[in-house]
Amino acid sequence: MEVVEKKEKVRLVLVGNPNSGKSTLFNALTGLNQRIGNFPGVTVEKKIGNLNLSKNKKAEVIDLPGTYSLSPRSEDERVTFEYLTNNNRNDLDEIVVIVADASSLKRNLLLATQLIDLEYPTILVLNMMDIVELNKQSIDVQQLEKELGIPIVPMNARLGKGVDQLKERLANFSYQKVKKIVEKHEEKDPLDNTIERFNWIKKVIAKTVKSEGPAKTAETTKKIDSVFTHSVWGFVIFLFILFLIFQAIFSWSTYPMDWIENGFMVFGNLLAETLPQGVLNDLLVDGVLAGLGGIIIFIPQIALLFMFIAILEDTGYLSRVSYLTDTILKRFGLNGRSIIPLLGGAACAVPAIMSARTIANKKERLLTIFVTPLISCSARIPVYTLLIALIIPAEKQFLGFNLQGVVMMALYLLGFVAALVTAWVMKYWVKSEERSHFIMELPIYRMPRWKNVGMTILNKVKVFLFEAGKIIIAISIILWVLSSYGPGEKMAQVDHKFEQMFSENPHLNKEDYSDQIASEKLEESYAGHIGKFIEPAIRPLGFDWKIGIAVVTSFAAREVFVGTMATLYSVGDEENTESIRGKMAKAINSTTGEKVYTKATGYSLLIFYAFALQCMATVAIVVKETGGWKWPIIQLVYMGALAYFSSLLVFQWFS
Amino acid sequence: MTKTLADCKIGDTVTLTKVLDKQLTIQLYSMGCILGEEITLERIAPFGEPMIIRVEDSFISIRKDDAEKMEINA
Ligand SMILES: Nc1nc2c(ncn2[C@@H]2O[C@H](COP(=O)(O)OP(=O)(O)OP(=O)(O)O)[C@@H](O)[C@H]2O)c(=O)[nH]1
Ligand SMILES: [Mg+2]
Repeated sequence: MEVVEKKEKVRLVLVGNPNSGKSTLFNALTGLNQRIGNFPGVTVEKKIGNLNLSKNKKAEVIDLPGTYSLSPRSEDERVTFEYLTNNNRNDLDEIVVIVADASSLKRNLLLATQLIDLEYPTILVLNMMDIVELNKQSIDVQQLEKELGIPIVPMNARLGKGVDQLKERLANFSYQKVKKIVEKHEEKDPLDNTIERFNWIKKVIAKTVKSEGPAKTAETTKKIDSVFTHSVWGFVIFLFILFLIFQAIFSWSTYPMDWIENGFMVFGNLLAETLPQGVLNDLLVDGVLAGLGGIIIFIPQIALLFMFIAILEDTGYLSRVSYLTDTILKRFGLNGRSIIPLLGGAACAVPAIMSARTIANKKERLLTIFVTPLISCSARIPVYTLLIALIIPAEKQFLGFNLQGVVMMALYLLGFVAALVTAWVMKYWVKSEERSHFIMELPIYRMPRWKNVGMTILNKVKVFLFEAGKIIIAISIILWVLSSYGPGEKMAQVDHKFEQMFSENPHLNKEDYSDQIASEKLEESYAGHIGKFIEPAIRPLGFDWKIGIAVVTSFAAREVFVGTMATLYSVGDEENTESIRGKMAKAINSTTGEKVYTKATGYSLLIFYAFALQCMATVAIVVKETGGWKWPIIQLVYMGALAYFSSLLVFQWFS
Repeated sequence: MTKTLADCKIGDTVTLTKVLDKQLTIQLYSMGCILGEEITLERIAPFGEPMIIRVEDSFISIRKDDAEKMEINA
């Protein structure tokens, strides 16, 4: 027995089939909150965490994407393959923790035997022991340990059962040579090799696993699927679920949103009154608070959206949607697997684009990445909500439905249709000889874990608040400065002009003119000059220079639009009594003297935000995922042109 | 003529005898679907594909053109 000297710290590498519970175990070990979901391909990149194995032994844990074998067929599997075969890590001793779904042991043992034969120091975690029990199976762990020659720990990672035992065995791990299971060389004939492995595995399973008839979980799943994947009902249910999500986000959430909005107004006034008057007061109340308040009211919607997505991910339903939509998506050059990025795009395009890694076919993956940003993401919610409320009276009906809701739904549909049409056009443009498959495991249905759902919501809201919040605060401050100061004496001249007017006409009420003064000063500010500079380009779309400023700042992220509007319309507003919507509704174009937010401008702006790629994070991730600037630039130009000309059309049509 | 998985009806349980495409073989094997394995055709989506097959207790989706490459023994 050859024992290698141990270091203080070891590295644990979690490897296993997709959906075997690696990330669940990773979270249980490290206390972190990696994304978990009941479908293959949740984790698509390497994640690192830390823990203490015992008093004097630490460990670094690596969570990897799941893989069925060591011959990768998609990008996510390649991540794992490359990590395992890269021998340049000599800094720490490593233990490969094989995470197997014990309820389908045969398939899971294939990868395990391959890893053992490649002479990795391994330990096997038999996860999902609760399912094994439920299916009235039993596994003779000691016997299996003997057969495989490596330590085995039974586990229920969901409940954390077996985690302590795993830590203990890892802390006392002895690095010893293990007998090879299949002597024959893998590279020579991988297929024969696999068959030989399965023959061995079958024999071992006959010795170690007892079961009574077919698995109960599989039978239950089959029953549920007879409804959820039904040729008719399957689609009806899917549409109903989408409708329900929609209803929840855009109608039920209005109550908490109103409370937050009112709360912010009260708080803003309080702050404005208690803080000493001056620049700081203005900056805080008009700049930061206005910008933030504009975005915080959308938390209920964001939370609801992520709640539904988390539930769908956790039950196993998403794989069924993939199955149902594969034929349709295939016609558009996509794949059933594309539905996960596309639905995910409704939350945020960045993780959605990453999840396209599970699509093995390069062309299908590229098309999916290209069209995903056309799906209306959560950052568009604030923009849509604000603008729709501005141009459509709440009580207006359309065929018996609330018109505001109909328009909102139409915008989402528009994004989806644009995505499909774009993919269809690209299908003919991008050439590929690679064959495409849709070979995907449909996991058993599971009850969502409410704690996981809750944590997901909390995390996403936090990210939304802090990530978006950071940008919004920064931009609000910059914007406040740019709109409170201007070049030369122009802004002072405005004050001067009005003072003169008041002294000449003492009967005038100064209050009546405060809005006008503020707006004329804004026009002379730096921000005003920027807006005026681009105004000629966007005037055909019905946008004035204030909207121009918002379009520019929105390039950081779309939700900045709302904050920008809030800041632009708050600067110089002494009372601070009105919501942004109220201020925008009253806005008058200084040159034409007409209302700025007419129907035509509103619809035009909505279409613009639906199509334009105003998100730096998306551009960055597309650069990363496609390995260069070519595709993100094409995407940026394409979506920009689509947005511009569609808005142009809409504006001309409505006016 | 040899039958392929694409010729099966819903509910049929058959044995896989040959796979005509190397890449497909590797994929199927790694998911536990090897020669000699019993396969049940569970469902077929509208327009004839994809289908869901059951191998032991796992459900796997597969398109028609791939099913045509899987020879079976009823
Ligand atoms: N019943 C049961 N479910 C589990 C257990 N461990 C994990 N799960 C569930 O299995 C599903 C997959 O878990 P993940 O941790 O995302 O699996 P993964 O191996 O990281 O999957 P990929 O990242 O896609 O490779 C989730 O729905 C988990 O809640 C367990 O011990 N028992
Ligand atoms: Mg994972």
